[in-house]
Amino acid sequence: MNDAAPLLDIEGVVKRFGGIRAVDGATMKVRSGAITALIGPNGAGKTTLFNVVTGFYRGDRGSVIFDGKPVFGHPPHELARRGMVRTFQITKALAAMPVIDNMMLAAPNQPGERFRYLVLRPGAVRSRELEVREQAMELLEVFNLAELAGHYAGTLSGGQRKLLELARALMATPRLLLLDEPMAGINPTLGKRLLDHMQRLRKEEGVTFLFIEHDMEVVMNHSDRVVVMAEGRVIAEGEPHEVRKDKRVIDAYLGEVIVDTAAGERPPA
Amino acid sequence: MSLDPGTLAPLAVTFESLTDPDFWVSVGVLAGIYAIVALGLQLNTGFTGIVNFGMAAFMAIGAYTMAILVIKAGFSFWLSLPLAVGTSMLFGVLVGLPSLRLRADYFAIATLAMAEVVRLFAQNARDLTGGNQGLFCDLDNPSNCYPNAWNDLSESINDFVANFWSDPPTLLPLLLVIWITVGLATLALTYLQRSPWGRVLRAIREDEDAAQALGKNTVGFKLQSLAIAAVLGSIGGFFLALDLRTVHPLDFEPLVTFFAFSVLILGGMGSYRGVAFGAVLFWFVLEGTRFIDLPDPPFTETRIAALRLAITGLLLIGLMAFRPQGLFGKREEMVLGE
Repeated sequence: MNDAAPLLDIEGVVKRFGGIRAVDGATMKVRSGAITALIGPNGAGKTTLFNVVTGFYRGDRGSVIFDGKPVFGHPPHELARRGMVRTFQITKALAAMPVIDNMMLAAPNQPGERFRYLVLRPGAVRSRELEVREQAMELLEVFNLAELAGHYAGTLSGGQRKLLELARALMATPRLLLLDEPMAGINPTLGKRLLDHMQRLRKEEGVTFLFIEHDMEVVMNHSDRVVVMAEGRVIAEGEPHEVRKDKRVIDAYLGEVIVDTAAGERPPA
Repeated sequence: MSLDPGTLAPLAVTFESLTDPDFWVSVGVLAGIYAIVALGLQLNTGFTGIVNFGMAAFMAIGAYTMAILVIKAGFSFWLSLPLAVGTSMLFGVLVGLPSLRLRADYFAIATLAMAEVVRLFAQNARDLTGGNQGLFCDLDNPSNCYPNAWNDLSESINDFVANFWSDPPTLLPLLLVIWITVGLATLALTYLQRSPWGRVLRAIREDEDAAQALGKNTVGFKLQSLAIAAVLGSIGGFFLALDLRTVHPLDFEPLVTFFAFSVLILGGMGSYRGVAFGAVLFWFVLEGTRFIDLPDPPFTETRIAALRLAITGLLLIGLMAFRPQGLFGKREEMVLGE
C-alpha cells in the first residue's frame, strides 16, 4: 500500500475564515494511479481543502507536496501547468464560447498565446492550432460531444457541461485530476458514462483521480481508496470496505441507510 | 416684402453649416478619435471583461507627453509620438499590477480614481503642464510647436488632394490619418482576437477561475490587455491634441471615457467592427443636434445644449430597449454570458 511515494501529499493544512476553521489540520495522501474518493458531511471542508490544494485559496498553514515538490501557496495556473487540474462543483463551462473553443483553450504550450509568436512565427502558431483542434475533436468524439463542437457551451445541458468540463480538463494533460462532485445534478446514464471514462483514463492514461462525492454507491463501487473528512479534519482513510466498517465514520457521517445501499449488507452491530 | 429677413437669418445659417464640409470633417475627426479610444475599451471590457473607466488618463498621458516633449523639451514631434505611447503603456502596467488583482467592480473604481489623479495632476503641475491655461504653442518660438511638424505633412496631403477636390477642408488630412489608424487597429485587434491569445481573453471574460484552473496566468493576460488599451488611448490623446491644437485638463474629464463607453455600447459589446459605426452614429447625432433650431425664448442656448445630450441619451436608451446587443454585438453571447 505504501510502496510508492504518493503523487499528492497533504499535511496539516489549515484554512480559517475569520474565526471559523473550515479546514483544521487535514492530512491525507493520494496514491499515484488510484481513484481516491473524498467524502464527508456537508461543511466538512472538502471543497475548501480542494481550493487550498489547487491554489485558489491561500492556506494559513500546512504543506502540500505534489509529485515530490512543495506547492503549498503556489498560484493555480502554475499547479495546472504541472499537471494538477481541477473541475468545479458548479460547472464553469465558458458559456459564451463555442464548445470547441472551450476545449482548445485548455491545451498547454500554445505559442499563439504569446505576442512574440503571433508577430514573428505565425506559421508555428497555425500548425499548433491545427494539432490542438484535432486533439480536441478526438476527445469530443470520445465524450459524444463532437456534433456540438460549434455550439455555445451555454446551450448544453447540465450533464453535457459536466462531460465538457472533464473533457476540457483532459486537454490540459493532467496527471492528477481533482473533481468536485462530478456526478451532482446529472442523469444516471451520463453519470455512468462519466465513471466509465474515469476508469478508462486511469487504466489507459495513468491519470490519478481525487474526487468529492456524496453518492455512496459511486464511492464504494468506483474508488480504490476513500478519505473521510469531518469538521475540517481527516477522520479515516482506507479502502472502501475498511472505511465502511470504521466506527468513527459511521458516527460522523454514514449511518445505516447509506451502508445498506452501498453493499446490500447490514452494518456491523 | 412680407418676410422679415431677420427671422430667416438663423435658419439660413443653420442649413449652410449643415452642408458645410468643414463642419462634418471635424465631426468625423472626433468620431475617429473616439473610435480609437473605444477600440481599447472593447478589448478591455468587451473581450477581457475588465471594466476600464480610466481611458481618459491614457489619452491625457499620450497628449501631455507629446506636447511637453515638443514644447518644453524641444524634442522632434515624430520622436515624441513613440515616447508618448511608451509612457502611457508603462503607466497602464504600473496601474494594472496592483489593481488587476481586484474584483472587476473595484478595478473599475480604481481606474476612475487613477484618471482623476492624472487630470488633477495636470491641472496643478503648472510648470510642467501649464495648469488650467493648458499647453499651447509659443508663437515666438515656432520650432517648439507640436502642430507645426504635423502642419507640414497635412499641407502636403492637401496639396495632393487639391488635384481632385479644389480647396479641401483643412482637417481632411487629419481625418484620413485618423481613420486609417482606426482601420489598422481594427484589423490588428481582430487578428489578435481570433488567435489563441484572444481565446484566453474571452475565457477570462467568461470565468477567470476556469481560465486559471486550465493553466492560464490570468493577471498577465489582463495586464497585456490593459497595456494595449493604454496604447490606443494615448494615440487617441495625441490625435485630440492635433485636432484642438492645445492640451488642456478639461479635455480629459471622466465624461470623455463615458462618451467612449456610449460609442462601445452603441456599436455592440464584443465587436470591433461595431466600434467604428458606433463612433460615427454617436458623434453625428451629438453634433447633428446642434442644428436644432427652436425659438429663443424659451429655448436659450444652454437649454438647447442640454437638450442635445438628452436626445443622445434617448437614442442610447432606445437602442438598449430594442437592440440590447448594440449594432453589431452578438445577442447569444450577451445572454449566455450572464
